[in-house]
Amino acid sequence: MTKQEILNELKKVIAPYTTNKEMLAGINDQTDLIKDLKINSANLVDIIIDAEAKYDIEIDYDSADKMVNVGTCIDVISEKIKEKNAQHG
Amino acid sequence: MHSTGNDIVSLDAIDINRTLQPRFYSKILCAAEITLYRKTGLSQVPFERYVWLLWSIKESAYKYLQRHRPELVFSPTRCIVTELEMPAEYPMTDDSITVLQDTGFEHHSVFKSIITVGRETLYSRSVVNSGLIFSVVNRDNVFEDTGWGVKRIDDVSSDNQSTEVRTFLLAKLKSDFSSNDLQIAKNSHGCPVLVNSGVNIPISLAHHGHWVSYSYQASTLLEMSS
Repeated sequence: MTKQEILNELKKVIAPYTTNKEMLAGINDQTDLIKDLKINSANLVDIIIDAEAKYDIEIDYDSADKMVNVGTCIDVISEKIKEKNAQHG
Repeated sequence: MHSTGNDIVSLDAIDINRTLQPRFYSKILCAAEITLYRKTGLSQVPFERYVWLLWSIKESAYKYLQRHRPELVFSPTRCIVTELEMPAEYPMTDDSITVLQDTGFEHHSVFKSIITVGRETLYSRSVVNSGLIFSVVNRDNVFEDTGWGVKRIDDVSSDNQSTEVRTFLLAKLKSDFSSNDLQIAKNSHGCPVLVNSGVNIPISLAHHGHWVSYSYQASTLLEMSS
């Protein structure tokens, strides 16, 4: 998947947890999940679980800790997809 | 300057079925905390409530620590609740409350915990009823000086939550300290502070669903007003 494809899917994963739809439409790598999208910290685990299901990947603790903004979310998802493909390749 | 960290969980906003899935709760609890739940007494607490109680304690600990270490990343499974003491009275009976505020927890049924984050040891108090879980974390196991409050709100939009929690705390402080010159702002690290005559005093704010909450160390405000 390209970075743009991951970003498009990530928007769908995040959408249920933010009311700031205007900001969501224009997110970029620096967009902070809590400060900018006003996502409650209690929903961060939901987003990780939903991302795991969406991409059929497993996000370990160390990787989950990095998922604070859109850019780091894309990096982690991209890395996990590559790992999965390498295992199945 | 002494500070606190607090967090609130609105129990009507959590997904119980999802919380009970190992894939979910294993991202919040470490193995030792799952063992801790099985210890005598804690089985009275539904497991999903235990998961969110520990989440609120860990989030409070993170908020406390982040003020002193802005680079800190929140890692729930590395913030470990090593001891958890049940309140004398559980379940609590005052489920109809819409506002609760006090200084200290002497007159409240609370969970008490000890938390370790790396080399740091912290302490918590948590109020739990059928609607909410509210936790406060301090560096010392002393809470007589800790001001705190929880309030139920109608409008759950993030803008309104933010406004309501600030209005709630300012009303309390203006009443206690007879000052109209108080403002809430964020410091250079994004942590909330009470600003009075150019002095920043640490405060902690939280909101989730229909609930907002605050905590602070009363001694820091007494120093301010003296």
